[in-house]
Amino acid sequence: MNPRFDRFNPLTLVVAALLLTAAAYLGPAPAAPAAALALALVGAWWGGVGARGSALAAGVALPTFALLALTNGVLAAAHPDASFGALHYDTAGVRDALAVALRLGAAITALGAVVAGVAPRRLTRALAARGLPGWAAYLIVASLEAAPEAKARAQEVLDAQRCRGLATGGGLGRLRALAPLAGPLVASLVAETDERALALDARAFRAGRRRTALTPVRDPAIERAARFAMYAAIAALFVWRFAA
Amino acid sequence: MVCYRHVRPAASRFLTLPTLALALIPRAVALNLALGAVVNALKLPVYLDSVGTILAAALAGPLAGMVTGALSNLVLGLLANPALLAFTPVAMIIGLIAGIAARLGAFRRVGTAAAAGLVIGVAAALSSVPIVILLYGGLTPTGAGIVTMVLRSVFPLSMEQAAKIASLSTDIIDKPLSAMLVAAILARLPARITARFRSAP
Repeated sequence: MNPRFDRFNPLTLVVAALLLTAAAYLGPAPAAPAAALALALVGAWWGGVGARGSALAAGVALPTFALLALTNGVLAAAHPDASFGALHYDTAGVRDALAVALRLGAAITALGAVVAGVAPRRLTRALAARGLPGWAAYLIVASLEAAPEAKARAQEVLDAQRCRGLATGGGLGRLRALAPLAGPLVASLVAETDERALALDARAFRAGRRRTALTPVRDPAIERAARFAMYAAIAALFVWRFAA
Repeated sequence: MVCYRHVRPAASRFLTLPTLALALIPRAVALNLALGAVVNALKLPVYLDSVGTILAAALAGPLAGMVTGALSNLVLGLLANPALLAFTPVAMIIGLIAGIAARLGAFRRVGTAAAAGLVIGVAAALSSVPIVILLYGGLTPTGAGIVTMVLRSVFPLSMEQAAKIASLSTDIIDKPLSAMLVAAILARLPARITARFRSAP
């Protein structure tokens, strides 16, 4: 899926993203979140998922900054540095908003890059190799596969009901349309459950045996050591933040 | 002659889910996402993104509800916005309370389901506020965030108080509506299906 990210075990990338997130939230603002954001952006662009990661981060961090800066810096300023009639300006409020936006940006870019660059099935296989139970791996993969199918089915039900003359306009009409749209969707999804449960039982899914991966995910010693070092760094950040 | 070897169940049975619940959970997660798409298409001012979680909890119990909630946030975090991963505990609380309410028979009638939805809504709102404060500084870039901003600007409220009121104002409408929808769905589901869940080990 991603030639550069696929060189690594997915867990190493996840732990690296968690380390950047921890650094952004636990380190001193604005230097630590800014540095974490810069590193996350470099990693995302190096991995070829920079556009997706940046768009995700900008979509959340920029509106949050705008809302927070407007609220804490202008509309409900706690300690105004300057006043223009009914309007005030609080530098500390805007600085706090910037810190929150940088933290969010760093966390979303780092985690978003991993999400965009690592195939969920590969991540689940890596987790299974580290002891994730078979039922949990099944639930993650099945949920990821069922989600787009159900969305497509929702659109089919919506189109079919509109063809039959279902009114989806007007305030009350939209609320009334909910039941004929949700009903077939829920009934079909729940009805499938029975068949899927039979299929799982027929394959002795609950046998509890460790399953063998068809394509094992590599986990070299150097990456295991790197993950250990990153876990230690996250723990050190927590100790530094809460012991200080 | 064909001989079948006896398949032994997994050694640990602590907090395990029956196969029927395992088959239901991915569909309930998908329902959370699909109903979100329906609500978007109808431009309704609610989320209804917990209907699948409440349904799984009502059919298969609190543990199934908690797992469905956690997985819904994981899938949304992986497919849409990683920041949603932080709200996983809130989704699990919704599943837990819905499961307990179902055990008490709250989803047998629409009225009691609405009351259960109200409890779920208050719990969800109160549990999401610390995450909103920690992660977003109190304001999410959503409708609730704008309500918080207006409350902070008009009334002398702290960010936490404003965020709590904004969160409560959305969740006490959304969650009772979701719970009522689940009660209506359960009343219309074929008895063959609901009976299978009741008899599941």
